[in-house]
Amino acid sequence: MDEAQLKKSVSPFRGRILVTTGILCLVFLASWYGTEMSLHSLLSGAGYMKEYLIGNPELAGSSFFPPSLIAADIKTYCLAMLETLEMAVVALFLSVLVAVPLSLLASRNIMKILLPGRSMTAAWLRRPIYLLAVLIANVFRSINEIVWALFFVSAVGLGPMAGILALAVHTSGVLAKLLAEGNEAIDPGPVEALSATGAGFLKIIAYAVVPQTMPHFISMTLYRFESDVRSAAILGFVGAGGIGFYLFDKVRAFENGDVTTIIIIIVIAVWLIDKLSAVIRARFI
Amino acid sequence: MIRMDNVALGYTKTPVLKDLNLHIEKGEFVGIIGLSGAGKSTLLSSLIGNISILGGRYQVGEYDLRVISKKKLTRLRSRIGFIFQGYNLVNRLNVLHNIMSGMLSRMPLHRAMIKWYGKEELRKGYEYMQTVGLEQYALQRSDALSGGQRQRVAIARALAQEPDLLLADEPVAALDPISAEQVMEILRTINNQYGVTVVSNLHHLDFAKEYCSRILGIAEGTVVFDGSADELITSDLDRIYGTTTHDNKSIDRKEIDIQSLSDADELILRQKKHKDQLYIEPAAV
Repeated sequence: MDEAQLKKSVSPFRGRILVTTGILCLVFLASWYGTEMSLHSLLSGAGYMKEYLIGNPELAGSSFFPPSLIAADIKTYCLAMLETLEMAVVALFLSVLVAVPLSLLASRNIMKILLPGRSMTAAWLRRPIYLLAVLIANVFRSINEIVWALFFVSAVGLGPMAGILALAVHTSGVLAKLLAEGNEAIDPGPVEALSATGAGFLKIIAYAVVPQTMPHFISMTLYRFESDVRSAAILGFVGAGGIGFYLFDKVRAFENGDVTTIIIIIVIAVWLIDKLSAVIRARFI
Repeated sequence: MIRMDNVALGYTKTPVLKDLNLHIEKGEFVGIIGLSGAGKSTLLSSLIGNISILGGRYQVGEYDLRVISKKKLTRLRSRIGFIFQGYNLVNRLNVLHNIMSGMLSRMPLHRAMIKWYGKEELRKGYEYMQTVGLEQYALQRSDALSGGQRQRVAIARALAQEPDLLLADEPVAALDPISAEQVMEILRTINNQYGVTVVSNLHHLDFAKEYCSRILGIAEGTVVFDGSADELITSDLDRIYGTTTHDNKSIDRKEIDIQSLSDADELILRQKKHKDQLYIEPAAV
């Protein structure tokens, strides 16, 4: 390779980069116009949004500002927020119980520890187990929490339990996918070393895999907890309990001062969780 | 302990090593030398059943490796310690846990899963740490150690297996000369003190000559030299390394003053006869 060729092949304006950038721009523009996005509509409709936020002066409580500060209501909303947090905690525990084994089966390198060897039988067994685990994880996470909640509300009735199950199923699919990616990125050296000692599958997982994936696991689990809290707040819309029930109720009744109060409580809760997550991450990573 | 009669080894049907006729007795310290790609690692890996045996009779301990079952192979591996060039430690685990992972094959599953060690296990773990001179680093994460210290942890882990046979795949290739000497001294101590048979691949001919009671030279897919360091003559080196390269395999040593080495580890000083002098490669000074 001469100098001219080298210069050409490292140029930021080389053909492959230009073509990729062009394709990305085309995809974005096609999607923008395909969904009838319009900055003009947003700017011209901004006045209506302002009116909505200010509310009807003749209708008490229809404005988003100031927020409702009735102590009894705030207490009710805080307790509902606590219920939402409890829903997220239980859902997270259940989802981890499902996601961890599922993620191990959905990781090609882990399957090679479970079923080692280059024989046709081992390879033949590894593949369908891996594909089945990936399929289950895909189905769980492809269906939105609200859809799962509708299914579970029909089974167990209105209330937090339907929301918990909905969150648990969806989150186990998401976590299984995320954890499997972490599993597949581990250093194979320690696994090789412990396999050479004759240690069994679960012992290798405990000593060579879990310590390596722990930072990723903590990070992803905390991220999903934050997501679950936000999702749990919305699941009340379909009767699945928590603060979402009040949020939906107040939005429908145009009691917008209460809506602002509820949103502030949700924002504070999510902010506190974010701070707590940062402390836990710093401890473990 | 190890017996090979006309053995051929390979990853596919084409042999990488052939016509292997070796008898290694208990308590020997065997060094395997040869160019990169000559088949040194293949020979070592074959001893733990990781390479296909294409022909001949291959016996390790009481096991015939041609027909060994998976269960027996696991049992055999639990008695063979393996030391890797890249250490293969779990970085996020401390020194103690890394060493104790060598005992996994003997540890009950429920205790292994929560890293709960018995009194006798801990006593032995401490003894192995003392053997490699790392007891003061017991609770330190292994990624906080130097390369030489990590390799010593890996040796202690192999010792924790209470092996009959210790295999070392280029154990000092990634280390500076001082750390390399420490590691070789420890291997010698293990060989002498515990009576463990040691088989090690070595790039440095000087180390092979100094530490190994027996040297195997590999070239062109077979063993071309088998004897003591004293029997190794230029014509043998020509066959092993080719006519022009073997001079580079010998470290050009130069005596230097100990005062110039600020971070020299004391362990090697305790082990050297002449405590006022160290040998080091000029390039490292």
